[in-house]
Amino acid sequence: MVSDITFGQYYHGNSVLHRADPRIKLILTFAMIIVIFLCKNFFSLGLLAAFIILVTLLSKVPVRMILKSIKPVLIILAFTAILNIFYTHGGRTYFEWWKIAVTEKGVNTAVFTIIRIIILVVMSSLLTYTTTPTMLTDGLERILSPLKIFHIKVSSLAMMMTLALRFIPTLIEEIERIMNAQKARGADLESGGLITRAKALVPIFIPLMVSAFRRAYELALAMTCRCYTDGNGRTRMKQMKLKITDYVMLILCIAITAGVIVLNIFFEKVI
Amino acid sequence: MNPFLEIKNVSYSYMKNTAQQVNAVNNVSLGIDRGEMVGIIGHTGSGKSTLVSLFNGLLKPSLGTVYVDGKDIWENKETLRESRFNVGLCFQYPEYQLFEETVRKDIAFGPKNMKLDDAEIERRVLRAAELAGVKPKHLDVSPFDISGGEKRRAAIAGVMAMEPDMLVLDEPAAGLDPRGRSDLIEMIKQYRERTGSAVVLVSHSMEDIARATERVIVINNGEIALDGSVDYVFAHEEELKSMGLNIPEVTKVFHRLKELGFDVPPDVYSVDRAVDILTSLAERRKSDGK
Ligand SMILES: Nc1ncnc2c1ncn2[C@@H]1O[C@H](COP(=O)(O)OP(=O)(O)OP(=O)(O)O)[C@@H](O)[C@H]1O
Ligand SMILES: [Mg+2]
Repeated sequence: MVSDITFGQYYHGNSVLHRADPRIKLILTFAMIIVIFLCKNFFSLGLLAAFIILVTLLSKVPVRMILKSIKPVLIILAFTAILNIFYTHGGRTYFEWWKIAVTEKGVNTAVFTIIRIIILVVMSSLLTYTTTPTMLTDGLERILSPLKIFHIKVSSLAMMMTLALRFIPTLIEEIERIMNAQKARGADLESGGLITRAKALVPIFIPLMVSAFRRAYELALAMTCRCYTDGNGRTRMKQMKLKITDYVMLILCIAITAGVIVLNIFFEKVI
Repeated sequence: MNPFLEIKNVSYSYMKNTAQQVNAVNNVSLGIDRGEMVGIIGHTGSGKSTLVSLFNGLLKPSLGTVYVDGKDIWENKETLRESRFNVGLCFQYPEYQLFEETVRKDIAFGPKNMKLDDAEIERRVLRAAELAGVKPKHLDVSPFDISGGEKRRAAIAGVMAMEPDMLVLDEPAAGLDPRGRSDLIEMIKQYRERTGSAVVLVSHSMEDIARATERVIVINNGEIALDGSVDYVFAHEEELKSMGLNIPEVTKVFHRLKELGFDVPPDVYSVDRAVDILTSLAERRKSDGK
């Protein structure tokens, strides 16, 4: 069903990671994603993997949830593994048949890429698991606020993002409701060819658009009534202040990055 | 003979097997005959909407069986499809499901899905529009250009046009003013008298239920708490109260009057009837010389 899709999944908790400053989390996640691609051998990658496992434990997000976030990319993982195994050649040959050969380099590259993607996914989902969408947009707003000098309305952008995130569950609910109503009138959404199915979406799409516009108008009106003009000059209920733990995290990430670079230099390149 | 709609030991849970599982309907069995007029009441979140969505297979029961016209609706695709047309379900705020260019086309959506021929579709559209009280001049305007109450009627006509043997209306009068409410309830009563179709009316309003229906089913926490005639159910005032429901205010007044020793009937559900009874009571007392 539609409601099975989870967006910006937040996992309630009160771990160190949950309490950390969203700005730091955003920037560090971004930085560490770049570090993933700096890793050149299994040693540096292993260091990063250990770091991710540590962070996962700190976040107290259950392993089940982490595995759930990997599930959608399983196909991509399988695909890259197959491509790498069969198309990268070098080193010892393990297996050869007709034009297909499985070599040491192929296997290494496949494993390496898979671990990379998994770290990437786990890292970004940890960010959304431990940060509410509102905190995320708040953080983003603060990070992007220097863009004001280019006359970009960062606060309005952030408000739009917050609202968009806020309305995703509402719209999903709405879609489900309209679908049920049309199904009750005998609409067949499941069978037929591509064109029939596309046509069958019209009775869902139009009421959805109508109600989305209605909601947007009502929301705009409600916001105007409460004197919202634009975000400039608004103060915040929750002030963001960097705490000791934020600095500790920053230093830890710098240390990991340094470690990755050192291990890259001392050991042989795999990829 | 089996009832037209029969559900046997049906349960339904949302988000089954997760931490947030909600058991919305628990082991409910009930039967509704052809031509019957039934009211379903219950507190917010008691599972009324979930229950009626099981009637035409929009939701698949976690446990139990639903029979429409003697057939298990989940037997195959065909029986499921038939149940959609045999049990016409009209959701809360149905006006938000309108989508066609004209009201006429929108009412025709259901019959079209039934693959009827054009002449039959046209006949059904006109009949449904008439039954639901859609003004003929509105048939060829956009459904987005008529008033809220008119939209509601157009949407209900869209379900009636399938000519189901049972019409289920979930809170049809929600959000209407008192006049609009009573007009709509009157329309539904008329519909049932003229077509002989069974009608199930889901509502919060005891007044509406008392005015329109003969049998009342009270749902509490996904279970049937009371099932019987209007008089039978309203006699259980205390029980209803514990479920967060209230019998109509006038009825309460009359129950109290009876307690005080006045000679009044207990089954007074509308203000009009109350006025009649009270005036005749007052006149009788006057002539008695008190
Ligand atoms: N799509 C859904 N996902 C999860 N839980 C739901 C969903 N729909 C309803 N519920 C839950 O199931 C229970 C029964 O809901 P239902 O809508 O059937 O109640 P209702 O009696 O129709 O209430 P109302 O009078 O407010 O319309 C409620 O506790 C509700 O929170
Ligand atoms: Mg409901």
